[in-house]
Amino acid sequence: MTNTLDMVTLNNLRFYFPKGKQIFDDVTLSFTAGNIYGLFGKNGEGKSTLIKLMSGLLFPKSGHCRVFDEDISKRTVRSLQHVFMIPEAFELNGLKITTYEQINSVFYPRFSKDQFYNLIEGFELSKNQKITTLSFGQKKKVLIAFGIAANTKLLLMDEPTNGLDIPSKSQFRKLMASVADDQRCIVISTHQVRDLHSLINHVIILDQGKVTFDHSLSKVSDRLWFGKPTHDTTGAIVYSESSFAAKKVLLRDDREETEVDLELLFNAVLSNKDTINNVLNNTYHDIRL
Amino acid sequence: MISGFSLKRIVNSVYRDVVVQSGSIITGLFIAAGILFIAFLLNLGIEDHIISAQDYAETLGFFYILFGILFTFSTFKEVHDQKKNHLYFILPISSYERILSVWITTYLLYTLAFTILGILVGQLAIIFGSLFSEVSFHFISIFSEEYKSMITFYFFLQPVFFYGALRFSKNKMGKTILSVLLIFLGILFYNFLIYAVLNHDYEVFSGEQLASEAFGLAKNDFSIAGRWLFMIIIGPVMLLAGYFRMIEKEV
Repeated sequence: MTNTLDMVTLNNLRFYFPKGKQIFDDVTLSFTAGNIYGLFGKNGEGKSTLIKLMSGLLFPKSGHCRVFDEDISKRTVRSLQHVFMIPEAFELNGLKITTYEQINSVFYPRFSKDQFYNLIEGFELSKNQKITTLSFGQKKKVLIAFGIAANTKLLLMDEPTNGLDIPSKSQFRKLMASVADDQRCIVISTHQVRDLHSLINHVIILDQGKVTFDHSLSKVSDRLWFGKPTHDTTGAIVYSESSFAAKKVLLRDDREETEVDLELLFNAVLSNKDTINNVLNNTYHDIRL
Repeated sequence: MISGFSLKRIVNSVYRDVVVQSGSIITGLFIAAGILFIAFLLNLGIEDHIISAQDYAETLGFFYILFGILFTFSTFKEVHDQKKNHLYFILPISSYERILSVWITTYLLYTLAFTILGILVGQLAIIFGSLFSEVSFHFISIFSEEYKSMITFYFFLQPVFFYGALRFSKNKMGKTILSVLLIFLGILFYNFLIYAVLNHDYEVFSGEQLASEAFGLAKNDFSIAGRWLFMIIIGPVMLLAGYFRMIEKEV
């Protein structure tokens, strides 16, 4: 049964490249409006592939990927008008920024020119600059600005902070936080979890062709505690870094709520996914470490 | 399927294709203008010193087809460019709108642009010739049977290269020409085989009168219906094949 808020639903999805290993094996997932999803995974686990499947650029070998209740692999105008994808590696046509906007924006019914040029200005670019003269990071800013101004309901971003300098990464976080609303679903795939600090509200972790973690951060912070404990924590440790005075993930119990350490959570899930999922899927009374 | 067809989107897509390729188009037009100028001057230098409607079509013909094929391949460059095709395929435009818009750009607009270029360059060659030689000034006319045949021939030939440009990601032109040659040789061999199987008892290969009469009839009585059928196969069917290639293309 599809939830009315679901923007993307993947059902029993399998995918592999010809002569390649299986990337996804029976993946079932859903993405709903009003969330910013962080899509994490080690290199080669299929983050970019999942983004491409969700934008209709790759087709599932079996199972379904439905966007706004339409099979996205059919690439219908109705579904594509509400999807924008920012790829990790790309090249833009060698035109002026204004020309690039003019020839592409006409295809997006909710595109806002004012928003686009404000963002271009905010990124310290000039609208009359030729794209060929821009660095990769600057081209990425043009594409991020275009993607946001397209005002699509689904915005997919594959490693959006790659190529951005340190101030721009912070600017990116603020910008994304400002454009998020309950009508929009944003999916950001990255292996640089720190770049999404205080931005995402839902984490999905891919490992060995499966979804090993799919929980909201509010649930994570409600059930788990992150940091360096000062008291004896035996019995509550869910995950611990191996170094001396290392950070730990503990059962929260009656401890004060902490901010979720995404890097620590990611490592914890990869090393002990069953325990973490057990903690998050059950009530306090059922939890057994 | 109303949302799958919009005239506005087709016009926008044509405009986009032209703008994206504007650099290549301008360069191509300059090269074509230079070549045509020399070709028209040479034409003016012989016999009647006039560029007749027939001369115009004959001079233009080869270059019209050559540059047209190059333009068709260039238009589909974005489809195969691994760094650009993500953004190409997520653009909200249906596959048949896209196929139609590329055909409008690479056949209709191209034919119009090349015809106008031919007229302008030819006229320039006449002015140049009239200044420096015995050529007398006259206006070029394009309305001839040769011109009509030229654009009709390209109308059916272009979809073959249109499909090749979509089908092959590397060495597109060479592979398309090779495929056409192989198909042509295959049909030739098939016809020969059928002919041999059906007629070997009549000794038509021995140079008898019957054989030459048969060849004569085959030459003179080429079925108009068959010709149209063949044209339909290599024209619209190739565009249809291009459409299916477009919908199944992944990045």
